[in-house]
Amino acid sequence: MKKALFVIGVALLVALLGGSSVWCQERIVIGGVAPLSAPGAAESGAEMKIAMEMAVGEIGKILGKPIKLQVEDTRGLPEEGTAAMNRLADAGAVGVVGEFHSAVAKAEIEVANERKLPLIVSEAWADVITGKQYPYVFRIAPANSLFYTKVADWVKSIGAKNVVAIVENTDWGLGVDSVFNATLPGEKNINGQAISYTSIVAERTVSDFTPQLLMYKAMRPRPDLVMDIFTGTGEYLIVKQAAELGLATTRETAIFPVGTSALYPEYWETVGEYGVFSITKTGYHPLLGVTPAIMEFTKKFEDKTGKTPTFAAMEAYDSIYVLAKAIENAQSTDGDAIVAALEKIRFDGVLGTIWFSQERKPDYMYHQWPGAKAVLIQYTAKDQKYTDAELIWPAMLKP
Amino acid sequence: MELFVAQALNGLIIGLLYALIAIGLSLIFSVLKIVNFAHGECYMMGAFVSYYFSTLFGINPMLSVFLSMLVVFLLGVVIQYLFLRPLYTGAVERKDEYAILITFGLGVFLQNVAMSVFGPWTKKSPDFISGITRIGFMTVDNNRLAVSGVALLIMVALLVIIGKTFVGKALRAVSQDRDASAIVGINPHRMNILAFGIGVALAGGAGGLIGPIFLISPVMGILPGIKSFVIIVLGGMGSIKGAIIGSLLLGEIESLGSVFFLDPTRGLAYKNAFGVLLLAIVLLLKPTGLFGEKHVRME
Repeated sequence: MKKALFVIGVALLVALLGGSSVWCQERIVIGGVAPLSAPGAAESGAEMKIAMEMAVGEIGKILGKPIKLQVEDTRGLPEEGTAAMNRLADAGAVGVVGEFHSAVAKAEIEVANERKLPLIVSEAWADVITGKQYPYVFRIAPANSLFYTKVADWVKSIGAKNVVAIVENTDWGLGVDSVFNATLPGEKNINGQAISYTSIVAERTVSDFTPQLLMYKAMRPRPDLVMDIFTGTGEYLIVKQAAELGLATTRETAIFPVGTSALYPEYWETVGEYGVFSITKTGYHPLLGVTPAIMEFTKKFEDKTGKTPTFAAMEAYDSIYVLAKAIENAQSTDGDAIVAALEKIRFDGVLGTIWFSQERKPDYMYHQWPGAKAVLIQYTAKDQKYTDAELIWPAMLKP
Repeated sequence: MELFVAQALNGLIIGLLYALIAIGLSLIFSVLKIVNFAHGECYMMGAFVSYYFSTLFGINPMLSVFLSMLVVFLLGVVIQYLFLRPLYTGAVERKDEYAILITFGLGVFLQNVAMSVFGPWTKKSPDFISGITRIGFMTVDNNRLAVSGVALLIMVALLVIIGKTFVGKALRAVSQDRDASAIVGINPHRMNILAFGIGVALAGGAGGLIGPIFLISPVMGILPGIKSFVIIVLGGMGSIKGAIIGSLLLGEIESLGSVFFLDPTRGLAYKNAFGVLLLAIVLLLKPTGLFGEKHVRME
């Protein structure tokens, strides 16, 4: 009896161990970092994670070894980002991609540099992320200065003279605010009028912006544009409360949710009709060019989730491919070899041909993808998908 | 002047919402002599329950709020019976530490359950009354007006129950002296259940009322939970009157302070600090809070 049980036990063990040949193979671990829960922007993190999983599923193997994707929830908190990067390094990740929040990315780059772990930042825009010029840090998303200096040009082009903003107290928010502070006050708009810019900083946990919006409403002249420099719940609340108070959107005053949250279906669920005629930015719009790669990715993403992907998902998807390609080119999982490969890479991704600048001036251009772009769109109907919204800038892309 | 009046009105509305959360916490402390660190999460659960009643079952949003209060009351009864009853049956030695740990742990548990079950995304409950109302030069969202009115009614109802009914007298008796209450025939355990249930139900009701205004998410209870702790200390631990006054004070200070601060562009960044500053000043002048009495520990 004992002998029979022993034989059965061994047989079961062999069946379990031998059942999957993959289990016995060494795997290449790729790390992913994204906010999957509040107070981070969970809707963005969720789509980034799905996009990463899609890419890993398609690539399958690197250097003949299966890939294991390990995504850590950074919750939009810098200390969670640090912990996540350390966990990934301890788990043997050969590279990490992702992150949505600049404050978190700022913490993650320190770990990347300290532990010599290549990090491709997918969607965090603060200049300092590449501005610190760490050798192990690369970025696909645009830098604040790259994009918002051009938004300032748009503000001048529409003849706005009184611009106000509510700014989230994070590296990204303060970074955008500093770009506008450097490019708007005292400048002349298209009509030759001096532009004034007023901003109020708030914690991400604030839910009632009514006092500040009332203050803006009482300004004379009335603001032409309200910049909602927030992400997540705060971004929705500012649009909602500005409309409830009769501040924006009106004939005199437009509102511009600057974060990415206005691109998601949750925007319409939370702000409803108040979102009509709001302006926002996107890194992808069909008028930028619908390549086969974009169509294929969009279809696969929609089939999987039932939702249209935003550029955050595309960036995360491309980041995985870029990292995988760099490992293949380097024929090594050594951090320095991957970095050297990333510096030479040219990869045709969903968003375009990705490569990384070696320029050190301005400082944020180091290891930055110079081809990152974004456009401004305006919703013209409730529940409108961002891909159907009207492209309002740059003007040369309008049909 | 117009701006001041508009801000003061907004502060009053916010204060009434704070009061609904805080009086529940105050009631729990006055009867059970513990601080419920899961209070913010009960507020959050009320918001989600109300949301799903109105969106999944098509129930009238205001009715959904009252139904959510009933659900959260039942949740409170279960929590009290399972986790807090040992405090009063002699089964626990270090009662204060146990109460802190168990309610804190419950808070973390409820938050994570909500994230798993409801998802991490922000949601909005259907409007109670859509549109805005113009009161002279002021524009007020109809939802805020409706919520203020309902919050006021609930508070008045609670004060009447506490002050004029047998149940209210029994609750007050237990809060003053458990043993003496038992001697005269009041069951302290039942009063514990009732107090905890009503306390969390009030928080749940506040959550349900907030839904159309400030949106809902699994972490929405963290800051209101902290503010309600500030309020009950400010107003005096265990004092319902103090909780109401403290709430209105906090609402006004936050609303006016963030706009009329020395540098208005930084006022909102310091909004949460105003309440703590007020608390520090009050405690320096009156250590037991505005209407508090000498601290009474759990027996």
